[in-house]
Amino acid sequence: MNMKMTPLSVVIGSLLILATIVFVVVLLPYANTNKTQPSEIFRQRTEFESAGRKLYIANGCVYCHSQSIRGFDWDLGAERIAQAGDYVADYPILLGSERTGPDLSQEGGEHPDDWHHAHFANPRYTRPLSIMPEFGFLNVEQLEQLIRYAQSLGLKNADHRMARQTIWKAEAIKAFEAGPDANVQWLNTNIPQGWREVPNPYPTTEAGLARGHKIYQDFCLGCHGPVGDGMGPAQPWIYPPPLNFTILKNREISGGILYYQIMNGITGTAMPYFKRDLESEKIWDVGDYVAVYFINHSDANTEPRGIDAAYEP
Amino acid sequence: MNAEINESAPSYATAKAFCYTSAFWMMVATFYGLLGATELVAPDLTGNLGHIVFGRVRPTHINLVLFGFVTPGLLAAAFYYIPRLLGTRLFSEKLGVFTAVAWNLALATAVITLAMGMTQGREYAELIWPIDVTVVAAFLLVFFNFIMTVRQREEKVLYVSVWYVLAGCILTACTYALGNVIWRPNSGALVGIPDAILLWFYGHNVFGLLLTPLSAGVAYYVIPRATRSPLYSHTLSLLGFWSLLVVYTHIGTHHLLQVPVPTWLKVVAIVDSIAMVIPVMAFLINIWYTAKGKLGEIHADIGAKFVFTGTIMYFFVSIQGSFMALPDVQRVTHFNNWVVAHAHIGVLGFAGMIALGGLYYTIPKITGRPLFSRFLADFQYWMILIGMVGFTIVLTIAGLIQGNAWLNGETVYRVLPEIHAYYVTRAGLGLMIFSSAVLGFYNVVRSFQTRSGGRP
Repeated sequence: MNMKMTPLSVVIGSLLILATIVFVVVLLPYANTNKTQPSEIFRQRTEFESAGRKLYIANGCVYCHSQSIRGFDWDLGAERIAQAGDYVADYPILLGSERTGPDLSQEGGEHPDDWHHAHFANPRYTRPLSIMPEFGFLNVEQLEQLIRYAQSLGLKNADHRMARQTIWKAEAIKAFEAGPDANVQWLNTNIPQGWREVPNPYPTTEAGLARGHKIYQDFCLGCHGPVGDGMGPAQPWIYPPPLNFTILKNREISGGILYYQIMNGITGTAMPYFKRDLESEKIWDVGDYVAVYFINHSDANTEPRGIDAAYEP
Repeated sequence: MNAEINESAPSYATAKAFCYTSAFWMMVATFYGLLGATELVAPDLTGNLGHIVFGRVRPTHINLVLFGFVTPGLLAAAFYYIPRLLGTRLFSEKLGVFTAVAWNLALATAVITLAMGMTQGREYAELIWPIDVTVVAAFLLVFFNFIMTVRQREEKVLYVSVWYVLAGCILTACTYALGNVIWRPNSGALVGIPDAILLWFYGHNVFGLLLTPLSAGVAYYVIPRATRSPLYSHTLSLLGFWSLLVVYTHIGTHHLLQVPVPTWLKVVAIVDSIAMVIPVMAFLINIWYTAKGKLGEIHADIGAKFVFTGTIMYFFVSIQGSFMALPDVQRVTHFNNWVVAHAHIGVLGFAGMIALGGLYYTIPKITGRPLFSRFLADFQYWMILIGMVGFTIVLTIAGLIQGNAWLNGETVYRVLPEIHAYYVTRAGLGLMIFSSAVLGFYNVVRSFQTRSGGRP
């Protein structure tokens, strides 16, 4: 090949190639995607939420949190696979390129506001393994804006979840303020009957308690505290406050109740569901750890116990 | 200096200014990298210092590496070899030095504004509008200086390095303006999915139309010179150059394979990502066959050693990149540290190594003296090589752990302790790279400043 490379052929040739390719891979897709219709969950953000989004951008939240749920995701937000119409007001779009923390597409309404306050004060207060920075350098108004934005993620779906949080928060506060007996009774009555009657089907063992101890430290300690009295570092931000396990003795707590509350969480309170984080054995183990050490009463392996699992001693 | 001396020995003031720029900002950039890596290990260490919160440190690190360390390093060499290859002097050293000063002002402003949280929030396009304008103007000034040098050339034939530098500067001025949506000063963004498509078109072209052409330009100059061999093939030069421009520019959407963008665009991106083998191998075969049997000469010249190592890393990062564009591979690798490892092979292992090679090759030519310390340069070579390969190993492992755990249904939160040990190792390796950047800066400064010795 003996092509003569003149300054003109290099510069004009390169520019022509670039122009052609911009037409194909930028302008054609623009014509295609620019007419995207809003999806069924879409709504405009409020001024306050938009201000929070600016803080989200300014502090680089996008570098650890994606907003891009894929068909094969399991974690936070996985119930809703992202659609082009979800992003029609995103300016810029904040898909993200890395997930050091969870995807936040559907964060809105996953937790009540008080959980967010504790979490922004120091993420390890609510999530002991987190490596997210603390955001105490934001002032009160900024923090409120950021939380409003977080609670709007998922748009109409988030509004739906937030409404549920608000309804149950009022109930939870009423129950808490009525005193321990009423509170525990309220908590128990909101658990399906079947679960309440189920004891922990697995026997208490040293190994099981050791596993429960580790799960407790990694997931529960921030709110419920190292000795289970509800005085973890997140406690000052949270209302109704984290449950004090040491008052639960003789209050009809079963292994099934503990399991159900850990699995499902208590919407309206800062207690999240752990069914995504923890598999069955981990939930039974941490429940028994709480029962043995903090409640001082475990129904593990009592009747009705069914057929013992093959591994049981 | 009087006019007579000036006539006999070009000052290379612009090349010198960009050498300082690159070596200085390499220190700052790698410090920010180390800081970010440390925060991932010990998040409370910098607690409540908003200016250095991780989300502000990371874009500072990336922008400084791209536009502070690597690009100026590659330009420094170009400001030396372009006039040499054309048998003339640089059109204007004054304009060149002015460009370098403006460039440094833009970088300093970038550090300050990002620390203050002033960002447009789009990866590689964070910088605010006034800095965007300065960057585009700087690329245009560099291009103007080079094209005017080309016009006054004595040597009629344009060598391949010149093609790459001309194309790299003018095309980057265009894609940078386009990708930063420079006609919308306030947001620097489009809305929704089109914004993502434009962003990654631009983002990938930072590598495709800036770092790669400028690095290729340096390699095409340094390897034949250091081995005293003619270039292996003119035909491969042509093939590599034109195919790079055509293929590389198509592939940005491989960042969006799991996002609702038009399927035909994903197909284009995947097919062209595989086709990247053509420009990559055309370039590498050309360089490697030029160096065939001459590895002794390369080993003897620290600049050439950096550059040649860079070409090997280019092979790895490019082949890996082609495979990463396959949707099945991306199900595991997307969104995790695998990609961070890939980015470090590309920008530090390939373009960064070649930028340093360019510096260490040209500094002795400019000063007429050997480097202040060949040992320090060699030491830096090994620190960076070990650090970069170490990054690749630990971050790839971390990425595989994350990607497979997520596919298996484990939550992001639960996987954090599983990658902690790799984050610790990564921070340690980052310390090696940062310290070597400090030594490198010292070496560059002393190489220029030492008056003793004279011309060899």
